[in-house]
Amino acid sequence: MSSDGAMLDTLEETEELRLEVRGPWQEAWRRFKKDRFAMFFLIIFGAFFLLAFSAQIVELVQGDQASYAKSLGEMGYDFPDSHAAPTTKAFPLALFGLDWSGRSVLLRVYHGCKVAFLVGTCGGLLSVLIGMTLGLLAGFFGGWVDGLIVYLYSTVASIPYLLLMLAFAFILKQGHFAEVYRESFLSSYLSLGLFNIILVIGMTSWVSLCRLVRAETMKVRELDFVQAARSLGFGKFRILFKHVLPNVFHLVIISFSLTFVIAIKTEVILTFLGVGVDKEPSWGSMIAIAKNELMRGIWWPLAAAGGMLFLLTLSINYVGDALRDALDPKLKD
Amino acid sequence: MIGFVVKRLLYNIPVLLGVALITMLLFNVAAGDPVSIKLGKIAKEGQRKALAKKMGLDKSLVAQYGDFLVQTVTLDFGDSWNDNTPVRKIFFRGVGPTLSLSIPAFLAGAFLSIALALLVAFHRGGWLDRFMTMGAIAGISISSLVYILVLQWLLADRFKLFPIWGYEYGLGAFRFVALPMLIWVLLSVGQDLRYFRTVALEEIGRDYVRTARSKGLSENRILFKHVLRNCSIPIITRLVITVPFLITGSFLLEIFFGIPGLGSTLYTAIQNSDFPIIKAFTMLGTVMFILFNILSDVLYAYFDPRIRLS
Repeated sequence: MSSDGAMLDTLEETEELRLEVRGPWQEAWRRFKKDRFAMFFLIIFGAFFLLAFSAQIVELVQGDQASYAKSLGEMGYDFPDSHAAPTTKAFPLALFGLDWSGRSVLLRVYHGCKVAFLVGTCGGLLSVLIGMTLGLLAGFFGGWVDGLIVYLYSTVASIPYLLLMLAFAFILKQGHFAEVYRESFLSSYLSLGLFNIILVIGMTSWVSLCRLVRAETMKVRELDFVQAARSLGFGKFRILFKHVLPNVFHLVIISFSLTFVIAIKTEVILTFLGVGVDKEPSWGSMIAIAKNELMRGIWWPLAAAGGMLFLLTLSINYVGDALRDALDPKLKD
Repeated sequence: MIGFVVKRLLYNIPVLLGVALITMLLFNVAAGDPVSIKLGKIAKEGQRKALAKKMGLDKSLVAQYGDFLVQTVTLDFGDSWNDNTPVRKIFFRGVGPTLSLSIPAFLAGAFLSIALALLVAFHRGGWLDRFMTMGAIAGISISSLVYILVLQWLLADRFKLFPIWGYEYGLGAFRFVALPMLIWVLLSVGQDLRYFRTVALEEIGRDYVRTARSKGLSENRILFKHVLRNCSIPIITRLVITVPFLITGSFLLEIFFGIPGLGSTLYTAIQNSDFPIIKAFTMLGTVMFILFNILSDVLYAYFDPRIRLS
């Protein structure tokens, strides 16, 4: 009993100590907070997340009767002009104007948030997961595992990114895969176009993180605390995930913010080229349609989609930069 | 040096084999039946068989892979499915227009971003530095499609400063590539400026700069004589690595401005499911990428005597 009591005491003591000594994550957060712009853009990002989340719920509630697909005329408003300029009439639906078939641009950019977040989060997570796992395995185990993974990423990295991405997207859209997917249970939750883009981003953009994690793991592997864990007889995977991973995890976070942006931009370009999202409104499909509208002086759909895209990209880029500075242990202030 | 190049070339042979395998699997297996794509779904069985034989698709996958490797090595990728012209001919037709846009744009962009990076490094911490850094991050946050659409509409359609669409061979090309060039420079400068600024700031923090300063050299002299020379190594290697993208980099611009280069060719090929062209471009792009990577390593060692190639 007495030994239990002593252990409790030490536990309490360490709790107290922990309150005074900031961990690396708290330290990073403290430094991040000091950048007021970074906090501002973090809030913008949070607002986008809420928009995306609520758009997803609205979509689930509305089902096939999605209001973004209807013109304002069908919704019972009186709009003689199919592509009216931004106006406060029918507030707030026509605030960003109407597109060529009389649909609310505001509703369409709102649902575009959902697509952007889905693509960014899922594509980013998939790519980070592949890059992190392969990088850890290669750096930690070395030998033939390392050889194989290095070969794999040099091969993928040697294909020009745009070509690889287009080839993948094209195949996923045309080939056997599309038929298999339409039959599967996933297709009722996630449209084929969206799923393709997520897959393309995951498969093509993991290389840079894998390289970084591999190099960092090789360094961490030789450090004393890993040796200590090894001499305590811990299993390889326990050491890898409990001791090595936390020390390379800052790379993963920074890479996630980068891939998020790449994913959103990729969606826009792939959709524009006709191998991306179809049926549902996305910023990419709005920009694709805007190409023809613009020449007739209808600038508001492009302005709305481009503006949203800009604001979200800018906030992630800025937050990503600030994160990189905050997580860099060499930059002490 | 030669030993290093040979070794790197040999090392990249398995990489090239892997790329060829991925490309072949993507297009000959995953893409569905190429014969149906070319003939449509209602062709007669005899016709289908004859075409499959002509395209070499009746062979085993291993044999098809072998065929593709032979095509890559001989750089003869057969005929386009669309108009039966040899792919090689199509490629050479597109190289000129593409390079007439990408080379001047690349040089102008590189020059501008290096100059700006030195300028902001000189005024580091000041309002110009902060303004440019913010400008660069805002610049890279705008989608390339939005840049192209807005500038094309504004400068070509509204103000009629440039032609909207088209191309002319020879010196007249400049009139048509001027606006795409401008957009290219805008697109690349944000990214490059951020990178070169980091490089320049890292150099400025080094000991030799302090030494130079303490012996009383002017800031200008330090920046252009000492810092620029040391920065040139990462700058050159980065620029060399981007050279292969001069071919694919103008993809969107060529489509929007109707420049009959490699980007437009690829776009048409994708829309028509013209597999030989897509496959050829993938392989050629990969070969270029590998070669310029090796070149950049060699240059690195050439300019920096501390690095030994092994």
